[in-house]
Amino acid sequence: MKKGAVYIFGGLGLLFSLAPLYWLLTISLKKEVDQFASPPLWIHFTPTFEHFINAFEVKQFGKYLFNSCIVATASTIMALLLGIPAAYSLSRLKWPRNQAEKIGFWILSNRFLPPIITIVPLFLMMRSVGLLDSPIALIIVYVGFNLPFVIWMMQTFIREIPTELDEAARVDGDSYLGALIRIILPLAAPGVAATAIFCLIIAWNEFLFALVLTQTEASMTLPIGIASQVTQYEIRWGIMSAAGTVAMIPVFVFSLFVQKYLVRGLSMGAVKG
Amino acid sequence: MARRRILWILPAMVVLVSLSIYPILFSLKVSFTNQQGDWSLSNYSRIFADHLLHVSIIQTILYVTVALVIELGLGLFFALVIDSMGRGKYFFRAGFLAPMLLPPVVAAVIWRLIYNPEFGVLNNTLKFFGFATKNLTWTSGEGSAMASVILVDIWEWTPFMFLLISAGLQAIPGEPCEAAKMDGASSLRIFKDIILPLLKPTLFLAILLRAMDLLRIFDQIWILTQGGPGLATETVSLYIYRTAFRFFNFGYAASMSLLCLILVTVFAKNLFGMMKMKVA
Repeated sequence: MKKGAVYIFGGLGLLFSLAPLYWLLTISLKKEVDQFASPPLWIHFTPTFEHFINAFEVKQFGKYLFNSCIVATASTIMALLLGIPAAYSLSRLKWPRNQAEKIGFWILSNRFLPPIITIVPLFLMMRSVGLLDSPIALIIVYVGFNLPFVIWMMQTFIREIPTELDEAARVDGDSYLGALIRIILPLAAPGVAATAIFCLIIAWNEFLFALVLTQTEASMTLPIGIASQVTQYEIRWGIMSAAGTVAMIPVFVFSLFVQKYLVRGLSMGAVKG
Repeated sequence: MARRRILWILPAMVVLVSLSIYPILFSLKVSFTNQQGDWSLSNYSRIFADHLLHVSIIQTILYVTVALVIELGLGLFFALVIDSMGRGKYFFRAGFLAPMLLPPVVAAVIWRLIYNPEFGVLNNTLKFFGFATKNLTWTSGEGSAMASVILVDIWEWTPFMFLLISAGLQAIPGEPCEAAKMDGASSLRIFKDIILPLLKPTLFLAILLRAMDLLRIFDQIWILTQGGPGLATETVSLYIYRTAFRFFNFGYAASMSLLCLILVTVFAKNLFGMMKMKVA
């Protein structure tokens, strides 16, 4: 392809990708009269923070933000605590024949299970134990989402560490747990961090289970709060855009940290980018 | 030794089983119960007679196929474009990836702002350039809603295809292409005979991952149209959700989700088998 054409196509693609994001940002900063002016105001408007103030002072978005943080953090930590030993077992301990592979594939298949398949029974189960409208229900469900991911990602990171290193530690009298904590984890630390960030993003973005399992501000997360600004009578565009802007910032900040592992994270460790 | 390897994996397995296999078995029980709470096969006979379900299955297949083909094509195209760039490669790549990282709810909100027929930025911009926008109803028109919803998916998820294919391209060794160029091969032939075959495993993986994700589509459609207008954008996920949580018919919703499980499993197995065959 010619150099000029390459940059023209690249520029068009970039415009299509980013213009909608820019538009959200401007709507969240515009006074109501400016939001839907015709012709649209792309640059020349007087910015205001009233929607952000409304969302967090008048509406409950502070609480939603807090719930989102709690749910994402707790589910990530638990998924790592359960997933890392499992990944270690599958990639380092001896399994008869191809058992480890079979278990690995079963774990992976959980990842591909569409949530709509388990949503009815999980809702009924949570209702019967009185966990509806509680962040705990969401934490449990998100651990289930993220666990297969953690196990697969951590397997690829652990396999990259030469076996001799942890074997040597065990010859020197260290236990398996000691070898995991003193040898494997420090060497796989960037991998653990990247895996954790992916888990945080997945839990942060999740919508369907949060929609079903939360009902009031006691447990509603940011995505549900944003969706609830579309009411029967009106759509609160300003608040919705302001909250949307707040919801996307942490994701972008976090993904800067995992740039290097983005491909690996999105392909469950199948492609090393 | 045996005890150790099982002990280490046991907690994770217990959690996974109680969040996937147990709920599925629970679903099975619920699906054989009618709304009065009695044992019944009515939920399964209803599956065959339910026109709404059939429409939503067909529309899901349509959605998945169209979005997948376009996202694959565009992803490949932009991966090649960016790959042949010298300066600015990383800047362009980072910019491209932004939509994919957003919470899907935020992506849907953005497109509601854009599509609104009366005061959305899309129609306002078109009006500014002198187009008649009266009939451009986007997500609120029965004829255009499906296409509009798919366009949002393309915006959001082409970056995913782009990213995986870019990584695949970078892994291709430079020598064969250079040798072919020395021998006077056109760039089209180099692409067809060298790059594409080497890229095949990546392409199949990208298709598999994206297809599985597309099948579960819910968030964006729920925010954009709730399946409407009429039935224009109804998909299986939305229909099951509505049956369970709007009409509170858990039994029927459970039987449909089990049907869904069977269809998805068969689909994934076939796709996976096809991949293995073609790649090998």
